[in-house]
Amino acid sequence: MKLYSKLLLYAISAMLFAGCSKDILNENAPSIILADNLYKNKVGFEAGLNGLYYEVRRSRSGYTAGDINGMMLVPAYIGTDNAYGNYLGPASSFNIWGVSNNSTLGEYRLEWAWLYETINAANTIITRAENTEVVWTEAEKNIVLAEARAIRAWCYRHLTYSWGDVPLILTESSGSDIRTDFDRTPVAEVRNAMEADWLFAERYLPEISANQGKILKGAVQHFLAELYLATAKNDKARDYALKVTTNPNYKLVTARYGANAAKPGTPFTDIFLEGNSNRIQGNTEALWVMQAELNVIGGEPDNVMRRYWVNRYYSLVVGGKSPFLVSADNGGRGIGRFGPTKWALSIYPAGDDRGSDFAWRFSYVINNPGGVPAGYVLGQTYNLDRTSNEKANNPNWPSTRKWDYASPVDPNIDRAYNDQVYIRAAETYLLLAEAYLKLGDQGNAAMAINALRTRAHAPTITSSEVTLDFILDERSRELFSEEERRYTLVRTGKFVERVRLYNVLSKATISDRDALLPIPQNVIDANLTKKMPQNPGY
Amino acid sequence: MTSCLPNYRCIVPSLFYYAHLLKRGSFLILVLLGMCSSLAAQVPVTGRVTSGDSAVANATVRVKNESIAVQTDINGAFSILASSAATLIISHVSFISKEVKVTGNAINIELEPSAAQAMNEVVIVGYGTQKKSDVTGAVASVDKKRLENLPNTNFAQALQASVPGLSIDQNSGGAEGNNNTIRIRGRNSITAGTSPLIILDGVPYGGSISDINPSDIESINVLKDASSAAIYGSRGANGVIILTTKKGSRGEPVISYDGFYGIQDISNLPRALTAEEYYQYKITREPNSITTSEQAVYDSKIFPDWVDLVTRQGSKMQHTLGVNGGGGKFRYYVSGTYLDVKGVAVNDDFKRLSTRINLEANIKKWLTLGSNTQLSHNDRSGLPATFADYQGAFRFNPLTTAFNADGSPTIYPWPQDLFFPNPLAPTLANNTDETYKIITNNYLNVEIPFINGLSYRINTGIEFTTRAQNTYFGTNTRTGLQAKGDLTITNSTNKNILIENIVNYNRSFGIHSFSFTGLYSLQTETGRTDNLDATGFPNDVLTFYQANVASSIRPSAGYTKESLLSQMARLNYAYDSKYLLTFTVRRDGFSGFGANNKYAIFPSVAAAWNISSEDFMNDSKVITNLKLRASYGSNGNQAVSAYNTLARLSTRSFVDGATTMPGYIPTSLGNPDLKWETTVGFNAGIDFSLYNGRIQGSLDGYSKRTHDLLLSREISSVHGVSRVLQNIGKTSNKGLELGVNSINIQTANFVWSTNLSISGNRNSIEDVYGDGKSDTLNQYFIGHPIDVNYSYKYGGVWQLTDDLAKAPAGTKAGFAKVVDVNGDGRITPSADRMIIGSRQPNFIYGIGNSFTYKKFSLYAFLQGVQGTSRVNALISDNVQNGVRNNTFYKNYWTPTNPTNEYYANVLGANIFGANIYESDSYARLKDLSLSYNFSSTILSRFKVTRLKIYANARNLLTITNWTGLDPELNSQEDIPLQKEFILGLNISL
Repeated sequence: MKLYSKLLLYAISAMLFAGCSKDILNENAPSIILADNLYKNKVGFEAGLNGLYYEVRRSRSGYTAGDINGMMLVPAYIGTDNAYGNYLGPASSFNIWGVSNNSTLGEYRLEWAWLYETINAANTIITRAENTEVVWTEAEKNIVLAEARAIRAWCYRHLTYSWGDVPLILTESSGSDIRTDFDRTPVAEVRNAMEADWLFAERYLPEISANQGKILKGAVQHFLAELYLATAKNDKARDYALKVTTNPNYKLVTARYGANAAKPGTPFTDIFLEGNSNRIQGNTEALWVMQAELNVIGGEPDNVMRRYWVNRYYSLVVGGKSPFLVSADNGGRGIGRFGPTKWALSIYPAGDDRGSDFAWRFSYVINNPGGVPAGYVLGQTYNLDRTSNEKANNPNWPSTRKWDYASPVDPNIDRAYNDQVYIRAAETYLLLAEAYLKLGDQGNAAMAINALRTRAHAPTITSSEVTLDFILDERSRELFSEEERRYTLVRTGKFVERVRLYNVLSKATISDRDALLPIPQNVIDANLTKKMPQNPGY
Repeated sequence: MTSCLPNYRCIVPSLFYYAHLLKRGSFLILVLLGMCSSLAAQVPVTGRVTSGDSAVANATVRVKNESIAVQTDINGAFSILASSAATLIISHVSFISKEVKVTGNAINIELEPSAAQAMNEVVIVGYGTQKKSDVTGAVASVDKKRLENLPNTNFAQALQASVPGLSIDQNSGGAEGNNNTIRIRGRNSITAGTSPLIILDGVPYGGSISDINPSDIESINVLKDASSAAIYGSRGANGVIILTTKKGSRGEPVISYDGFYGIQDISNLPRALTAEEYYQYKITREPNSITTSEQAVYDSKIFPDWVDLVTRQGSKMQHTLGVNGGGGKFRYYVSGTYLDVKGVAVNDDFKRLSTRINLEANIKKWLTLGSNTQLSHNDRSGLPATFADYQGAFRFNPLTTAFNADGSPTIYPWPQDLFFPNPLAPTLANNTDETYKIITNNYLNVEIPFINGLSYRINTGIEFTTRAQNTYFGTNTRTGLQAKGDLTITNSTNKNILIENIVNYNRSFGIHSFSFTGLYSLQTETGRTDNLDATGFPNDVLTFYQANVASSIRPSAGYTKESLLSQMARLNYAYDSKYLLTFTVRRDGFSGFGANNKYAIFPSVAAAWNISSEDFMNDSKVITNLKLRASYGSNGNQAVSAYNTLARLSTRSFVDGATTMPGYIPTSLGNPDLKWETTVGFNAGIDFSLYNGRIQGSLDGYSKRTHDLLLSREISSVHGVSRVLQNIGKTSNKGLELGVNSINIQTANFVWSTNLSISGNRNSIEDVYGDGKSDTLNQYFIGHPIDVNYSYKYGGVWQLTDDLAKAPAGTKAGFAKVVDVNGDGRITPSADRMIIGSRQPNFIYGIGNSFTYKKFSLYAFLQGVQGTSRVNALISDNVQNGVRNNTFYKNYWTPTNPTNEYYANVLGANIFGANIYESDSYARLKDLSLSYNFSSTILSRFKVTRLKIYANARNLLTITNWTGLDPELNSQEDIPLQKEFILGLNISL
């Protein structure tokens, strides 16, 4: 009996305290994608690249992924000589600058975080591409690296133009190495890395691609030309710009084409019509086009360009009535956060397609049967007031038509689903003009500019008319709301000067320091063990 | 019948008959059940002995100075022959004896529990029970009054302020009321979870608190110190709440019905601007911002009262039918409860139907089998109207139109600003949300033969939950119109399985007694979610049954699995019941932690001294019981969910033409070293009982230090990720707790008793990154509590008389003034932001007072939080550019009203965004109840043993300086807190 009880005790003890099964505690995450599982072959790396393109597309989206509130690149577009914050209100930091432009603005924090998130995504691809266990060919690897490096340099382009010196990170971040001592790398050094990335990309990227959303060799040559202008290597800038402008694949659109070719319009404005943006649709000057597709997973860009640039015509009150309803004909539903300065509207010569009714919404047709003001009839055209200065919260103000879009589901829908051209060769012509000007060759500079003016049916200019300011004016005429205007002005050292000249709301309060944005306060605060210097004046 | 005592006459033979059936020939049971009276030539006096709501069986009722005595039956009833002037003495081992004068021939006697009962009371301490006198740790029980006859939708509402050291804040209103912050002894962790572990009938519970029917709960015990919670090791650091459901009791089956019905009303509403005020406000702030449709509404003078439209008078009712009983070898408790709450928000409903079957069978002398099982169905169908944020009713533009001419809610109440859907839109959605749940705990207890005191128990728990949510927004809503119908289907299942092997060994050798508990257990929790979003439908007819015809379908799925492998050993030693020692050690392995740190060990020790058992205390007239306790040990907090230590990618898909291109980017950083956060705590306490139990209580002091915090830390976004989870930083908590029960007045007809709990906790961050430096970015300040208010200090308003040249650029009279803390003439984030109070209370308290006069009882429970402050979001003009939202009434600065209270109604008047803080301390009359117990003599005629009616008012009165919606709620513009008024009934047969 005693033996029996002892045996029982031993048996129970063994059951209770037997060696534990280790396997049960090892995590197998069948529903989650991990870096270690993904970057194993060409398909995995391509999925990583798709993620990068999504991130690039966010530059025209809300502050946070999947959201349409805010706009990622607010400071790149407005508070400049040619655009201001209309329905951002008169007190918007980008209208009044001064103390309201400070390091705690959410716009800066979120934009910075998005750019470094994208850099880390690119770095993860670039770092892991060197893993010898990856199953792919050398050619496949090089094209993946080319796209990832092109987009990484593109991120640093935003960072350096906006903030100047920024931390240069070229390897994947790791949870076991959290840093609190980042340095701000001098711009020149960051630009060296950008140059290396783009030169690599330029070697391997194709000139054209069946996939309409891919960054092309021409886009990288374009960015290189711009980089060389920024670093005063004007001959290289000229050479890389010429690689684009002389490439027959990238020739300017000069004739009507595409969706509305038979209807009234201009070759210039055809580029921006829905169904016309991609190279395959006839837009030969496209170097990089942002892709979207309604009702397709991955096609939701959360794009806010129409929301932000189309004005609130439906809020316009005429004779106590609301004559205008949201419609596709009126450009869809905008919320008019951004608007052109009066100066931007004033610079078009007569006959310039780029300043025509096809490019700008200068008037609306009364389409609200219940809101016809006294003295008007339904269907009558109502001209907006272009005589006053730009002011905040003004529905009676023109807006660009480059981003017009209305969903077939409901014209009131927040998001836009049209493909949008992001970089086109026309801009490269203007980089070329700038390079020629700086090299003292005004004749060729005028020729480059005239290529655009001819296409737009604007009077051509003579070489003596070419100055840096003229080129900046021409850029506004051609690229209004497309180019990141702040970058151009900062690159040419003209930002504060031209805002003081042309932006009524900002001229009194802008100061030299505003040419560089303040480093986000949370980035400074997180650098616990090394003081990260703020830009001067903040 | 023959076994009746010689001089007693049996007056209820039928009871004897039942007793006879139960235990034929048993003298004891007959006495227990006998309702007998004396044969002497005196008046027969009948009555009933009760304590609280339960009958006291087996009490001795004796006529003073005579030898006549009877015992009460199972229903507490007795009958005795006594002279009309006689005094009865009622005594029972567990209650304070009482003398009552005979008045008339029916008498009811209420007994108060004695200290002896309290000390012999069995306390559930996890993996077993202990006599209260043997407990060495800080273990508190919830006053039963908090569990009965109150409109509790969940047990957290019963727990609030009823245990010293336990704080519960209701974070949001609504019918279900299940969003609570529950904390035991302060906040150990900065970013990880601080909720205590909940044990339901011995099984760690992971579900929603509202899935447990609170009326099935018999007792709630709270393990507060390191030693008592150490048996739950890696999950014990935040304390443990042990819920035990009602069990069958041996004896006559009792059929009972409990029910109440009540109404709910909004307790407080902040004052928003009226439509006229808003119109003026808008014109002042941004001239020309009035749109034509707003002007038309203004001219019509017909304004919607949005808050009124989205609220209603709510109701709450509950019906519980139960049977409880058992014989010699079998006990059962079976109940069914239906709860139906209609909240104060329109369309905010919660229904719960639950049944509970608790059984225990003694199959053999050495073998016991038991099951505690709940089946429930929760119905949360229907979406409440929108209250919060820009699109919610509280701040909705009043110059809008709520209804179309046909009475249907408008899709766009403001036709010129299509950002705004109708706040009523969710009420138009087709929505079902149903949860089915099984919670079953089954056990087998084996008394090992031949080894005296050794037993083995296998304990299993299964919690299985399925939830199905279907939503369809049709084209009569903004969401549905813009998407041509918007459908969401979410199905989730959750499975939580526990297997425990427990060995118990109890032996006494003379005055030495030992008890040992050993545990080996495995718990796994798996969750699976399937989600389907679809938009674009031909019509609304088939609501959420038409995903197959959608133009866009986006399915997604999720899966998690967590496993916990544990061993635990506990040894209790007692010397002569005077000196008590407890040693506990637990080793846990958890799958959610980093590959390098899967296991951890948590030891603890505790000692106690029953001073009142010493000989020198025998003569004390005052002290009935006195015990000193001390404990020391470490516990863990494993508040990490599955896969958090792995570097995860997020889906960021792109498109090539109309073809999806799956894409991913890294959005989190891995950490293979991640492990438990550990809290090491010391507790010292004293349990006392004075004047034969009239005053009982516990006083505890503790000090805890937590290290290796699971800190979700904001890092420089240069990493590409802005947050990472690390074991970094230290916090401390120190506190004092007092819980006292007292019988203040006790006379024949009147009893006043009080139950008080009060506690204070001091929380402090000791270190963040190991360098002794504070982290301004995350607002972690060393030496300060975890959740401080940190901002520029609001310094009033720039007045016309001030020198604006000294003000920051752009300042005008009427702008908010910020205190230049360092006096350098500039306002800078690094130098001028400061700590302005915190969210941590100085102390929290709850006081229950109970007054019983004859058959009436009045119960008042007051609860409060003192010493907290925070931003009141309602005192900022959060109206968007263009004044698109309404705001709340304020004393604005104007040139003719040079106040410092609030700055001018001018855009950009608060340049630096300085916050205005308000105290949100409060005292609340949580419950006020009046009940009436019908006399058993009357009831017995109807074969009813108990009948009680009651009325309760909840949240009747709140005293606070807080000007928002409610000091307890997080959001000040969401569903308001409700006042409740109920009428209820308990009846037992």
